[in-house]
Amino acid sequence: MSNIIELINAAGLTGRGGAAFPSAIKIKAAKENKARLIVNVCDGEIGAAKDGWVVANHLNELLEGVALITSGHAKPIFAAHRDSTTARLLAAAGLKVLEVPHRYVSSEETSLISLAHGGTARPMTKKAPFVFGGQRSDGKRIRPTVVLNAESVWRVSQISRRGVDWFRSYGTDAEPGPRLVAVGGFVSTPSIIEAAAGIPVMDLINLAGGLDPSVRLVGVGGLGGILLTADEARSAIWDTPTMKSYGGGLGPGIITVWDPRQAAAHTAGAMIAYGAGESAGQCGPCMFGLPALSADWNAFAMHPGADTHRRLQNRLTLFERRGACAHPDGVSRFATSALRVLGPELLQSQPYFAGGNQPTEVLSYV
Amino acid sequence: MSSELLWYLSRATGVVSIVLLTVVVVIGMVTAGRRRPHADRATIAAGIHRWLSLGMTVFIATHIITAVAEGYVDISWLSVVVPFTSGYETVWIGFGAIAIDLLVTIIVTSLLRHRISERYWRGIHWASYGLWLFAIIHGFALGTADQPILQGITLACGVVGGLAASWRVAVSHADTDRRQEIKSQEWV
Amino acid sequence: MSDTRAVESDLARIGVDRVLCTGHGICARTLPEAIVLDEWGYPILAADAVRPADAKLAVKLCPARALFLR
Repeated sequence: MSNIIELINAAGLTGRGGAAFPSAIKIKAAKENKARLIVNVCDGEIGAAKDGWVVANHLNELLEGVALITSGHAKPIFAAHRDSTTARLLAAAGLKVLEVPHRYVSSEETSLISLAHGGTARPMTKKAPFVFGGQRSDGKRIRPTVVLNAESVWRVSQISRRGVDWFRSYGTDAEPGPRLVAVGGFVSTPSIIEAAAGIPVMDLINLAGGLDPSVRLVGVGGLGGILLTADEARSAIWDTPTMKSYGGGLGPGIITVWDPRQAAAHTAGAMIAYGAGESAGQCGPCMFGLPALSADWNAFAMHPGADTHRRLQNRLTLFERRGACAHPDGVSRFATSALRVLGPELLQSQPYFAGGNQPTEVLSYV
Repeated sequence: MSSELLWYLSRATGVVSIVLLTVVVVIGMVTAGRRRPHADRATIAAGIHRWLSLGMTVFIATHIITAVAEGYVDISWLSVVVPFTSGYETVWIGFGAIAIDLLVTIIVTSLLRHRISERYWRGIHWASYGLWLFAIIHGFALGTADQPILQGITLACGVVGGLAASWRVAVSHADTDRRQEIKSQEWV
Repeated sequence: MSDTRAVESDLARIGVDRVLCTGHGICARTLPEAIVLDEWGYPILAADAVRPADAKLAVKLCPARALFLR
């Protein structure tokens, strides 16, 4: 039974949902604890599209990966947003679909486990991985359950079919293997790209139609990610060390070119406000902290000055590991990054809200 | 010890138990109903709630032992824990037995709180209101008609506890309100 | 050990169940070296390693049962 685990370990596959945890360790624990498998096909991050793409284009290989992981025993559950195309495709294939509400934090690992146990699709405190079983904070028992990202499961079948050497011929030694990236936003052809760590970010953007000269910002990883200036994006490499140097990571494989016609401080503010509204209302630092962060961002964007800047900076120190899930960490990471790229010019010129470059509409991300 | 002395000791420890129980329950309600910016007072309150609830068991135990041991009226050990089995004042002693059963359950589950499901602990701890009410009625009915001071103390405890419970129902704080508000959104 | 100062290995590691925590603020008084409160009364862990006896008491006194030993 451990043959496939050895292969995955040798291949160096890591979770493609954003956390990049070694898949072999997770799958080994899942087998040992006879954990129920939930395949996460939600694409819950803003701009995400790759997992739905896997279902639409490689469903058979995905199911083969599932069979390798579960040894064909337990029936897996496929988590997809309610009434989504992905959910319909899965249901049409006769698979068991966990219908996930359209909330940002609902596609988070522990939210899916809670939902699968008849609870709400809201995150749970994770004292230990739920692959071992455990309990919700109120004491409800949680059976051993493992959540794997759909792309990760698909990669398992590829590793099995094509071998470790094929897998390792992509990417870097530290981050081997092909990985999907969704490139969208202000590009001519938004695309799902079979990419790998170590290639220039510009190569990815060029495959989606290229970077318009007027573009000023490029987002990496959606609301839980970071912003790069266009110059940074032109020289950046798609790997964790480079993204880490800008405060982020590879995340769930999302590159979003920001529309230069929209005021960036306003767009960032809309995203932070959306993040605040998506708090699951379970952890104080999140349910009060994120609305306060949103207010502080708006105050700074509208009245850039030393005092609003300081208040925003102080606020951003109050989120690290202070939620059951990483939602507050993610939104504050994004806001920190937005402040890094937008702060200096806001402080210099107050261009967005005071001048004529007003946004024409409020953006919705739902 | 003479029966007479035991009888007085039983009544004295009974009324002290009522007062201590009321203090514990009221402090519990205040802890449950109030939030910042009173962390200092909350810490003292939590300490009192915890240790006074254990301390009062000494008075309650004395109250029970002396009531059974004295010879004027017939209260059996069985009727201490099984409601409505006492030959003497079947109903009011029965209320006392209910209170004792609830008290033991609540104290034991609280001592074991970290080993049992939080949902169960919480559900059981709500029974404190019932425990307190049964104890008040038991004390008021038996405490007794010929002793206006004892009855007055019991009545005062009832009024204070009732006011605290009304406050607990009426009060809200930001944490609970925000949780409720967001929980009512679509999450399934 | 005669040294009264606790060494690293003797310390207990604490954590907060953020779902259970409702901001009573008691942990900031029982563990003043490790925990401060934010503007709503929720704990900020300045350090998560504390003396075991202090940690045990703090865990007992948390009304929400949110504080735990790792």
